[in-house]
Amino acid sequence: MSTPLKSAVHSSVVVVDYDHCSYCGACVAVCPPDCIILHDATLLIDTDMCTLCRRCIPACPTGALTLVEVA
Amino acid sequence: MKTEYDVVVIGAGPAGSIAARTCAQAGLRVLLAEKRQEIGSPVRCAEAAGKDTVAEFIPLDPQWIAAEVDHFSLTSSVRDTIHFPPLESTLVLERKIFDRELAHTAAQAGADVIVKARAAGFIKNGAGLEGVKLVVQGQLQEVRCQIVIGADGTEAQSTRWAGLKSNPQLKDYYSAAQYLLTNVNVDQNVCQYHLGWSIAPAGYAWVFPKGKNTANVGLVIAVDPKQTRSAIACLNEFVTRNFPQSSILSQVVGGIPISNVLPEMTADSYLAVGDAAHQSDPLTAGGITNGMYGGLFAAQVAVEALRQGDTSRKFLKKYEKLWDNKFGADYRRLYRLRHSVFKIPEEKLNAIIQQVSQLDDPQPGMGQLFKIFLKEYPLLVVDIMPLLLGK
Repeated sequence: MSTPLKSAVHSSVVVVDYDHCSYCGACVAVCPPDCIILHDATLLIDTDMCTLCRRCIPACPTGALTLVEVA
Repeated sequence: MKTEYDVVVIGAGPAGSIAARTCAQAGLRVLLAEKRQEIGSPVRCAEAAGKDTVAEFIPLDPQWIAAEVDHFSLTSSVRDTIHFPPLESTLVLERKIFDRELAHTAAQAGADVIVKARAAGFIKNGAGLEGVKLVVQGQLQEVRCQIVIGADGTEAQSTRWAGLKSNPQLKDYYSAAQYLLTNVNVDQNVCQYHLGWSIAPAGYAWVFPKGKNTANVGLVIAVDPKQTRSAIACLNEFVTRNFPQSSILSQVVGGIPISNVLPEMTADSYLAVGDAAHQSDPLTAGGITNGMYGGLFAAQVAVEALRQGDTSRKFLKKYEKLWDNKFGADYRRLYRLRHSVFKIPEEKLNAIIQQVSQLDDPQPGMGQLFKIFLKEYPLLVVDIMPLLLGK
């Protein structure tokens, strides 16, 4: 599990478990603010742009996304 | 690398390659840009497609045909099975080779094909689209063109850059997982479907034979925030239950929009095709040949637009019309059908499948299944009748 960085905007962030992520982009399509960046084997979430709508979490086929409190 | 083309196609899947090939055949200068280092890889597909439809686009070639199947079965979560009589011949493809061969035909028709070329944005002049910013092997390149065809898949960025409403609702989005399994003893002439909430919530599972004791075993689930199991978790349960002796050769996951196509698939100087335009079947999520038709229609309209010197959305909308003529009515029906079928409680579904499987007729066929279905769910008649009539 990646270490969640503290977000300037939210008290929680969506984090990516890279042991499960397959870089398929299923989360990218359902993200309204388009804050998930996918290049080959890199997936990053811009936590400041993220609105915590959580649509990406159930969309992920491998369960690699979770909401974590950072406050 | 050239920096000026008539058409730039983003993404070299089946839809993009057909679009590029069709434009090149009409004499246009075309660039087909694939972001990955290898066309066709990684595979993100169950790889089944209608034989006759595939043959409309490319001569059949054993090197990308893993299996040919013309029998289908439907199994409930309590393992009652209905065997259907042969329908249209279906191919289980080797997408890695198939996709590459399609891109190859585009190149042979005169398109320039490049890999490791990621689209990073549009070149705009005011509101006008003038080209694509590509990162090619790490170098930012500006490629000017008259028309952009976005074939960049489920995670498409080009639709967003073009200002199209491309965000699917979760209820219209499948989360999918599949293994290529070996040591599976399945009938190599049957495509199996498995239905039931306990198997795949608001979705279904499949077993598609791929020859030599292997099969694509996968499932889709409709995305639901209340759902706690991921697609891969459902798949692991399905595999443990049905193929305990199997080994996994590869894993494929992805998301598929099944909302029916985007309300607008075009913008000024821009057309979206394939999964970028949500062209997968809104019931089964099959999308290979549908996307190829999307690519064909988009390219035909692009060619016409450049001949007439009018690349406005008003002109390009002809593409939406071509699509709608071929798929519109079917897609609206399949969309409704999915939402009705997946509302049926699992026990009820199991009871129906059991009832049909116990009929004396060893191959009861679609007709009898639907007769029983319709007795229970008369409102489905509107959507199911065309299936019965073989439409």
